[in-house]
Amino acid sequence: MKINYISLRPPITRYVIPALAVMMLWSCSKTVDEPTAGISSPSSLDENAGTWKPYLLASASEIPVAEPKQATSEDYKAELKKLKDATDAVTPQQREQINYWGAGAVFRWNEIARELCARYNSPPASTPDGKYPLPDAANPLKDPKFPFANPPYAARAMAYLSVAQYDALVAAWNYKFKYNRKAPSKNDASIKTLLPVSDLPSYPSEDAVVAEVSVVILKAMFPGEVPYLEAKLAEHKHSRISAGLNVDSDIAAGSELGKAVGAKIMARAKTDKMSAANGQAMTAAMIANAKKIGVTEPWVSQEFPPRPPMLPTYGFVKPWNFDSATVVALRPEAPPVIGSPAFQKDMDELLKIAKGQTREQARIASFWSDGVGSYTPPGHWHRKGAQLCHENKYSEVRTARALALLGTTMQDAGICCWDVKYYYYYPRPNQMSSKIKTSVGLPNFPSYTSGHSTFSGAAAEVLAHIFPSSKKEVDDMASEASISRIYGLIHYRFDCEVGLATGHKIGSYAVQRAKTDGAE
Amino acid sequence: MAHNLLIHYSMMRSLHQKGLRLLGILLTAAGPLCCAYAQMPNDAIYMGKKTACLAVSYTHSSWDQYWENSLKRENLNIGTHTTQSVMPMLAVGITKDFNAIVALPYVWTQASAGNLRWQKGVQDASLWLKYRFLNKSGFSLHAIAGASIPATNYIPDFLPMSIGIQCKTATARLLASYRHKSGVYLTASGSYIFRSKITIDRDSYQADDRLYNSNKVSVPNAYDASARLGYLKKAIQAEGFIEYGACDGGDNIRRNDMPFPTNNMRATLVGVYAKYQPKNIGVNARASHAISGRNMGQSTAFSVGVLYQFRYAKDANN
Repeated sequence: MKINYISLRPPITRYVIPALAVMMLWSCSKTVDEPTAGISSPSSLDENAGTWKPYLLASASEIPVAEPKQATSEDYKAELKKLKDATDAVTPQQREQINYWGAGAVFRWNEIARELCARYNSPPASTPDGKYPLPDAANPLKDPKFPFANPPYAARAMAYLSVAQYDALVAAWNYKFKYNRKAPSKNDASIKTLLPVSDLPSYPSEDAVVAEVSVVILKAMFPGEVPYLEAKLAEHKHSRISAGLNVDSDIAAGSELGKAVGAKIMARAKTDKMSAANGQAMTAAMIANAKKIGVTEPWVSQEFPPRPPMLPTYGFVKPWNFDSATVVALRPEAPPVIGSPAFQKDMDELLKIAKGQTREQARIASFWSDGVGSYTPPGHWHRKGAQLCHENKYSEVRTARALALLGTTMQDAGICCWDVKYYYYYPRPNQMSSKIKTSVGLPNFPSYTSGHSTFSGAAAEVLAHIFPSSKKEVDDMASEASISRIYGLIHYRFDCEVGLATGHKIGSYAVQRAKTDGAE
Repeated sequence: MAHNLLIHYSMMRSLHQKGLRLLGILLTAAGPLCCAYAQMPNDAIYMGKKTACLAVSYTHSSWDQYWENSLKRENLNIGTHTTQSVMPMLAVGITKDFNAIVALPYVWTQASAGNLRWQKGVQDASLWLKYRFLNKSGFSLHAIAGASIPATNYIPDFLPMSIGIQCKTATARLLASYRHKSGVYLTASGSYIFRSKITIDRDSYQADDRLYNSNKVSVPNAYDASARLGYLKKAIQAEGFIEYGACDGGDNIRRNDMPFPTNNMRATLVGVYAKYQPKNIGVNARASHAISGRNMGQSTAFSVGVLYQFRYAKDANN
């Protein structure tokens, strides 16, 4: 007995205590490692980008940029001297900022915009009298915060951002190669540079153009973030000086161009019918129409208190790659009649998952949930697009082009899908059976077709065209995003399959543009 | 208990669970385990050498209000949130001053309203080691170490429905107790709980008012403190307690959003516990209620358990 007792002790000290020590070590580090983006090193200068077709500018030279001072001028020499002093005085913190922005101007501002979308993606809380107050653009930080950056809102914000960056960079490239001012360190070899220097002419600064035009758009989309955006803007521009890559006049010319392009882009935003997208007064007529075309049990909000549906007239917002008549033409055929065998088949699939959702189904549903508090499906795809551009060593202007093609098709997909949703006003499966509960959160708008599927089909179509070697990868991602909504128990299979196919059709319009914009 | 703690921590994460959490921690930890002579990770009771106690407890914890950050609110899309668990626990007397306790709970959650799906499954396995290093004139001091590890791949970030938050934990606890000859005792304890990072199914999430592009989530460590006043003599034990648990850092639930494992959950619980074990077989019960909190549900929890004490090795001297 004694022997038994003694033999117990060594294992405890030998294994348990070290095990505890290991656990403590696991717990000690509280730092989360995020994927880091390396310094951008474009494989091409894209010298001809000044001839690429802009979205909204009449031409690359619509906005004038004055000729810079000659490299031999006293003014420029003074700027070089100032730049040398700045690079000699770089602090460790500035060096960090240089490397951060060195990942790419478009890349970083796209990332900033996604983060803002996530931070503003909060549906208003109901008041004690059962109403949902509307966010107020004039008081953006008051509860509920403005905007509620839901998927249609995020799709539009990211579309405008990408188009603005692209048009501004096409203009910048035009002047860069027109004036051909060499990089400061190529005029004065004694300037220390902290990022790689290419043969890209430095006037106007592409970083200043992107930073300034991005801030114009993002201030309008996220009016509560003006101080944050201005701080980022100043940091970005300054990073180019402390890195020894741009003199003040490069930055100033880029800033002016960015601001002017931003104003042009915002003129469209003010008249694109987004301000009328929350047309709640029209839902009665929409429901009546849905009943007339055979939807016997139209969608009703499953929230308590019932929440008005999300942006019921977003389908009338102006699309990018086609006109509003095409939105109607792209509308898919009606979903199965409620109670029909086709309906029942897909309902049975959901009832089965409701009983025994597998861990893998739950994982896929969660991975693609992109719900409240996230950057939404358009943000998810922008992240993928930006990553692909970075991996493929795209120049700033080519990155902007890819994200503009992606961003515009994302908003087109949102517009088309919202048109379909409110045309058919089809109920969610959760409305048809109380046995169906979700593992991802139930969106507050009609079911048919799936927004995730439509966004993803369009995104995959565009990304597969731009990055043919990634076609399989993005197609697989889109299929998984689509089916995730079945696994998450909020969509019928027909919502997802029709949505995905329609998304691909929507994406093909952006692909058509890509083939003719002069960049391929 | 350890796992209870874990459970509760996880739960705490969830709004409701949150409320429960501290409670749960306290409750579960303490509640399910007690054997006649023993014994939970938060008491001064020990199993004798070569004796063991197997306990099975059932806990029901629910809330219909929670603290969203510091805002006390209801949620009509959750209604009443309920967490139930069944936990087998084994306490083993290795010496009269050194005990080990293991436990493994099965947990299931549900909401009475709204569309959030229930979750269920085996949660976290825990191990506690309890060592009495001073014992004089009724006064005793105890060093307690605990560790827990998720036993299954349950979903950690679907709060408040998740059954846990997938942390591995390590707990260091100091416990002091005084017991008068009459049977009245007073026990106080304090602990620090190290918690590992977790991996979620998404590769992007919001915490600390920023967006993380990663599937790794840094969960704050936690600490707790408790005081209990009770009576223990022969077959009967009864006590009242107050417990406080909180995270060491963490963020708050965003306005009208769901809880997340990074939240700084805190709660103060008050409760009662009783045990009756005339022979080898005994029963216990526990009740607790959260009187204040943050980022978790205001839970009320009840638990009942049965205990069976036995010798696991023959003692030559007996």
